[in-house]
Amino acid sequence: MSGRHVALAAPAAVALALAAYPAVASGYGVRATLQVFMWIVLAGSWNLISGLTGYVSFGHVAFFGAGAYAGAILMSKAGWPWLAAALVGGVAAVVLALVIGYPCLRLKGPYFAIAMLGLNEVLRALVSYFEGLTGGGNGLSLPTLDATIPIYYVMGLTAVTVIALTYLIITSRFGLRLMTIREDEVAAEAMGIDTARHKLYAFLLSAVGPGIAGALTARDQGYIEPISVFPLATTITMIVMVLFGGKGTVWGPVLGAVVLFVTQEVVWARYPYVHPLLFGAIIVAVVLLMPRGVLGILQIRYRLPRTI
Amino acid sequence: MASPPVLEIERLRKRFGGVTAVDGVSLRLEPARIYGLIGPNGSGKTTLFNCITGVERLDEGRVHFGGERVHGLRPWEIAQKGIGRTFQVIRVFPELSALENLLVVTRDRLAAARERALRLLRFVKLDGLRDEYAGNLSYGQQKLLEFVRVLMRDPALILLDEPAAGVNRTLLNDLLEAVRQLRDRGKTILLVEHDMKVVMGLCETVFVLDHGEKIAEGAPGVIQTDERVIEAYFGR
Repeated sequence: MSGRHVALAAPAAVALALAAYPAVASGYGVRATLQVFMWIVLAGSWNLISGLTGYVSFGHVAFFGAGAYAGAILMSKAGWPWLAAALVGGVAAVVLALVIGYPCLRLKGPYFAIAMLGLNEVLRALVSYFEGLTGGGNGLSLPTLDATIPIYYVMGLTAVTVIALTYLIITSRFGLRLMTIREDEVAAEAMGIDTARHKLYAFLLSAVGPGIAGALTARDQGYIEPISVFPLATTITMIVMVLFGGKGTVWGPVLGAVVLFVTQEVVWARYPYVHPLLFGAIIVAVVLLMPRGVLGILQIRYRLPRTI
Repeated sequence: MASPPVLEIERLRKRFGGVTAVDGVSLRLEPARIYGLIGPNGSGKTTLFNCITGVERLDEGRVHFGGERVHGLRPWEIAQKGIGRTFQVIRVFPELSALENLLVVTRDRLAAARERALRLLRFVKLDGLRDEYAGNLSYGQQKLLEFVRVLMRDPALILLDEPAAGVNRTLLNDLLEAVRQLRDRGKTILLVEHDMKVVMGLCETVFVLDHGEKIAEGAPGVIQTDERVIEAYFGR
């Protein structure tokens, strides 16, 4: 039982410290931590579909962008409060996931990844085209408002929710069924598992967090444009974070988000030109040397449960 | 012959491009019997399995299970109706534990599913390895695990694709005994097998395929002396 208590107490202590942090932190500290929360939401959500089912979503930033635009339009054109707009951003992302997931999750292997890549490009083009609503290439400005600290808390809460949801899924039979899709989809179907439905549920769940995070980020930055909320680099970053930390685990995406974000900040500040090079090097190193990620390796070597 | 058939296949035909893998095969399986499906390589045995279980769509013909049409259904729907199968190449879920491999299969309440899974693992003497990843088990152990995984749903019809391949004698005898026990409990078993000793010793009726056609059907003793069967295996 004591191990279990530590497993509960340690995250709780970290959460309390982070809740108290804005009272003592600099503006930079709060914004950087807010970014870490956002990456935990994105990486953790990507892990739900791709880490568990093995279906690699190469356009997951599309949900972030959809949430950002849905939220920003409500805030700027309809005067909605940001918290309500953020929740609708999550809903918008789920609706998009339903429309896209239903046909695309029938595609196997690399075809799903390519379809998701295409989705992101299509959305970016659509947003640029419907200027009346979105401002097109000129972007969309939100009314001035300094809400960084409340947004910090809401983003933090979203991150905690994604982690908790991951824990619940991974320890359930629903989660095990998602893993059978990754392990052997043909065998899963032969055993009576409705894989299409399971994939769709996982996909819907994986869209909520990025949708909320997108709307919160739009509010925090006060301005969005197509290239700022639909960048392929964001999808790649969340993938690398999960692969680095350990896909299919609870804390792997968190570890990846923290380590990679901090590395990125440090390197980017000191060596702006080397930064993309270093990031590329990390991708290659992870894929070649430890395809399971840090926690994945520990899990196998020390026979730890997936809930690490 | 009075009881309704468990499985009835009528004039099933499946083509891959210009090749007709299964060519108008009809079969009828009665409850609580063990059937064998034999034939030279490429005669359509596994394709027939895949058509029954919905992995392949048939081009012509009908498949009825317990009087109900199952062709055209998705594989998971057919499995839920009560047809279980194993694969020629082992397909356990390697990064799930032995116990989890069984638990994922049913929708029963977790406690009941656990109890059933543990009983099945004991049945094949794998209960000591229940928390081991399936991928770390030996070939024979994985084969047994795949076998009991099929039983988790308590299917009425069980299709076994080469259960004896690569299995040592002791394990094989256990497996064959388990198959007989299932038959005694009312299950119907259809197995593809190359080991003639297994087929002749276990099956009550044997179907012989050659070039996608059913060329013979009958008791093992009769099949062995059938001219067309001998010709299919050894040539004229």
